[in-house]
Amino acid sequence: MIKETIEITNKLGLHARAAAKLSHLANTFHAEIHLNYNTDRVDAKSLLGILTLAASVGNKITIEANGKDEKKALGEIVALFKAKFNEES
Amino acid sequence: MIKGLIITHGNLGKELVAVAEAILEEKVDIECISFDWRGDGTGAVHKVEHYLGQHRESNVIIFTDMFGGSPTNICYKFNRKNIEIITGVNLPGLLKFLTYKDKDIPFNDFVKLIKKEAIEGINIISEFLGEKKK
Repeated sequence: MIKETIEITNKLGLHARAAAKLSHLANTFHAEIHLNYNTDRVDAKSLLGILTLAASVGNKITIEANGKDEKKALGEIVALFKAKFNEES
Repeated sequence: MIKGLIITHGNLGKELVAVAEAILEEKVDIECISFDWRGDGTGAVHKVEHYLGQHRESNVIIFTDMFGGSPTNICYKFNRKNIEIITGVNLPGLLKFLTYKDKDIPFNDFVKLIKKEAIEGINIISEFLGEKKK
């Protein structure tokens, strides 16, 4: 299992469209992927699960990946966060 | 393959699909039928029959807006092994359907998954925040 903590930098945080992109990407991997925020832990493959975090800009999320493609999964998910979910220029 | 059909009063279904497409940022494969409550529903029934006739080989979920409402009531006769009707369509349930329908999940399990997601999408925020504070 590998993990990385990243700060949310897009203005709207983990809102519906960002959560949809994140869950869509997470579903392309075999690895189990979880997001940890404060005491909450959700499945990154669940759109509704991500939304229940109610995480906004400035919050720090720890992403955990566990499985044979965990390295690729974590790398691409971190990149999506860093790209601000491709919703800001 | 699992197909989807939404039958609602007025354009509620079409608006739900438009919002889902905005969130998912893609066109989605689901059919909408508007029930005109000023009529007797015959037109909607014919449209459902036509849709189901085109998808005889598929499993189909029919979403309706409200249990006991006319769009639901006209669907009872379509209930069969490969067709399930889920009432009270909402955005969480619809998004789950659209994002999971192409996964290899047995139809009965898939139907229950959609219902569960739709119900879990309803929260009282004060209770939700209270739970988070514990």
